[in-house]
Amino acid sequence: MRFAPPNPLRIADRASGLNAPSVRSYNERLVLSLLLQNEGTTRLEIGEKTGLSAQTVSVIVRSLEQEGLVAKGEAQRGRVGPPTIPMMLNPEGAFSVGVSFGAWSADVVVIDFVGGVRFHKAHAYADLHPTATEAPLQAAIEAAVEVVPAHLRDRIAGIGLAVPDEATIGDDLMRLVGRDLPSAQARIESALGLPVFMQNDITAAASGESLFGVARALSDFVFFYLGARLHSRLILNHQIYNGKAGASSDVGLSNLADALAELGMTFRPLSEWPDLTGTAKPVYDAWRLRARTRIRSSVEALLDFVRVQSIVLSTYAPLAVAELLRAEIAEMLPGIDVQLGRGMISPKAWGAASLPYHSRFMVQ
Amino acid sequence: MRSVLCFGDSNTYGQMPGRGPLERFARDARWSGVLQRELGPKWQVIEEGLSGRTTVHDDPIEGAHKNGRSYLKPCLQSHATLDLVIIMLGTNDLKARFGQPASEVAMGMGCLVYDIRELAPGPGGTVPEIMIVAPPPMLEDIKEWRSIFAGAYEKSHQLALEFEIMADSLGVHFFNAGSVCRCDPADGFHIGAEAHESLGVALAQEVDAIGWVDQER
Repeated sequence: MRFAPPNPLRIADRASGLNAPSVRSYNERLVLSLLLQNEGTTRLEIGEKTGLSAQTVSVIVRSLEQEGLVAKGEAQRGRVGPPTIPMMLNPEGAFSVGVSFGAWSADVVVIDFVGGVRFHKAHAYADLHPTATEAPLQAAIEAAVEVVPAHLRDRIAGIGLAVPDEATIGDDLMRLVGRDLPSAQARIESALGLPVFMQNDITAAASGESLFGVARALSDFVFFYLGARLHSRLILNHQIYNGKAGASSDVGLSNLADALAELGMTFRPLSEWPDLTGTAKPVYDAWRLRARTRIRSSVEALLDFVRVQSIVLSTYAPLAVAELLRAEIAEMLPGIDVQLGRGMISPKAWGAASLPYHSRFMVQ
Repeated sequence: MRSVLCFGDSNTYGQMPGRGPLERFARDARWSGVLQRELGPKWQVIEEGLSGRTTVHDDPIEGAHKNGRSYLKPCLQSHATLDLVIIMLGTNDLKARFGQPASEVAMGMGCLVYDIRELAPGPGGTVPEIMIVAPPPMLEDIKEWRSIFAGAYEKSHQLALEFEIMADSLGVHFFNAGSVCRCDPADGFHIGAEAHESLGVALAQEVDAIGWVDQER
């Protein structure tokens, strides 16, 4: 056996594009998981964190480099010796599509390998209703992936669908994908030739923040999603926990919209926001108080059981509104770090887009 | 102090392109010297370059001592303890007298890797890190060497891929010298001063990238 011809691992196969998911080895996933969770890391650190030998890391990194998933970062010159070159993900190494189904719209985003948003569009449900001959949702996804340069289109890892809790699935979503989610998943998969992954929408948003958002370095945090309603998730040791299905509070943007409606003001949270400094100010202030009081009581109840020091507030509300709310929450909860999420443009769709990365590149 | 052995042929010896067999670049201008300069005082770079060295063949014309395999073990043992062994060979195996395809040359490299592992000249009797370096491919015009290297030009362009397949298969480090330097037109298969410099600098980065846990020894 000693002098049998070499048995090339898949590395020497120079085909362009992503390798089939089945051939990605556990060790490769281990290295990719590390790179997805860290901005840049040296081969030494990869070896230390994975327990793989230097030569194994060298072979794997070279293979990922050839596949275009990983690239050398900028050299960092130390005091002695040659400059150290960190390894990082190539932003254009992979792309992913995320779709979410919110209260007011269905959002489609395309992200790159480091979570950067390359495309975002909010579609009114009325525009997406399928007919006998047309499937507008598929067309919307197809239009979205046009943003990926043609020669990189074989690098689209898949599509993530962020679906609401069964209890809150509205008529709009029913009309869009039908009553049976798994068959909708299969339909989209075969129509677009891409693997489709589904997850609860709030969990997806939390997992996006955890993978390449502001919570990347946090193993424990509380995640609040302020959409039409307020939802929460607890993340302990990178594991996402949720409470009883569909649990949410009516202190979200719907609640604000209703309160404003009593003043005779109409607004749809996705389009223009009315002036909230004039006559609407008391209503706006009261809503923020309701929202942050609810958040405080959740966090305080939780602190009786676990010690978490970070809160991530994720919302698509305008930055000024989100930032004001964040600052007020931080003031109410001294000693706890409160940050806004990174996926502000469409938190659930953005989070959903991280799903294909999880299943194709990471250790489960 | 860490030590690295650079095991190679005339391009490690530092033979000047298109000149006589004894005309050699100065020590600090050879790639192993550049490597020493770049790695700094924490490393000792040992050069073992012999003109005409093959991977595993006794040379019927130049002599049996050109066989890299028979010299490797005594060489490793003389220089142990070694943290890293860099092997850059393959060009001489492409001489017409050996009639080897590139894949066979890679098999020869594989033998050397096995021999290093068997001898285990690393710290405390362990296997040192091993790096296979593919030499830069030849140029088309190799002057009076045309007949000696008949058919070698194409094969020299296949070495990098064959060596990499071997390196992946055996799980050792690999570097393609052709990615940072080319052969000198003076004879078409030796590397010039500039190439020595860029190869030394590039290899220093590769050596560093392996990752070495700081420890006093």
